[in-house]
Amino acid sequence: MIEPYVWWAILGITFATFLSRSSLHLLGNRLQIPPTLESALRYAPACALAAILVPDLVFAGGQLDLSLDNPRWLAGIVSAVIFAANRSMIASISGGMAVFWLIRAVHGG
Amino acid sequence: MSEPITNDAGAVTPRSAFLRGARELMPAWPGIFAWGLVTGVAMVKSGLSVTAATVLSLLAYAGSAQLAALPLMAAFAPIWLVTLTAVTVNLRFVVYSVLTRRHFAHLGAQRRVWLGYLVGDIMFVRFTAMIEREPHYPHRVHYYFGGAIANWVLWQISSIIGIFTATTIPTSWGLELAGTLTLVALLVPLCASRPVLAGVVVAAVVSVLAHDVPMRLGLLLAIALGVAAAFAVERARSAP
Repeated sequence: MIEPYVWWAILGITFATFLSRSSLHLLGNRLQIPPTLESALRYAPACALAAILVPDLVFAGGQLDLSLDNPRWLAGIVSAVIFAANRSMIASISGGMAVFWLIRAVHGG
Repeated sequence: MSEPITNDAGAVTPRSAFLRGARELMPAWPGIFAWGLVTGVAMVKSGLSVTAATVLSLLAYAGSAQLAALPLMAAFAPIWLVTLTAVTVNLRFVVYSVLTRRHFAHLGAQRRVWLGYLVGDIMFVRFTAMIEREPHYPHRVHYYFGGAIANWVLWQISSIIGIFTATTIPTSWGLELAGTLTLVALLVPLCASRPVLAGVVVAAVVSVLAHDVPMRLGLLLAIALGVAAAFAVERARSAP
């Protein structure tokens, strides 16, 4: 990539980081948010996590793929079940990865 | 961290709070490490120089926003589009700061900028869960910084390893999946109530349907509709 362009883009992404993460902390309690909205926003973290991870699991090469050619969604389900059963993050992540690699090896992906 | 440290048995000191935060982050280390590694590899494979990739990692500290920006940068998309896409992917952090700001409002401006920069999904979920269980926990700022700094260090080390070993790590390993699976493990315990479950299902469906909307605006739409659904279910249940 061309140098000046890359540095401007890096500056832009850094600006995005500070704008989204720190600007409201700088306002602190001066920022007034309607109590109803603030109470509804309690649900936003879970919704945001779901909206980020589900497309990651079900899309492969830009296409919705729920077959065994894309075992990522199955790994996600296995991870969720393992975590619900024993609350261990390491077991959950490694169990999901094991299923992913196993299916790919057996299925020849 | 200038407060005196007492050694009374069982007393919470700033130091013990800091260490507890770091300790409670650690179960997520395989996911953080794999995700950082993959982000480092992806930056170099997209055409960034080792220097540019390292600077981007250190300044932006935003895995998914960096990954979303890479294809745009490779196509020389306008800077405003790259920036806006990164803002959209990072918008959940605005919500995180709305929900945690009262715990940090007493701090100086400089500390607030740093704690904002250091926020990540894992530490946000850990922090809010801890405050809910122990509403009077002292030194919560130290607890937060302990976990957030541990996350930052882990992420930067793995990302820089990824940058320098990019040519030797094949993308076919599918290591980036470990990062996504970390989010799965974070999400599962949040789904303990019916409103959250409704919001999560709606957000998931909308995020899939709106996958091709540019600038990741589908993500925004999914969160908005998910929150609305969760709130509607909460209201319906509390209505007489």
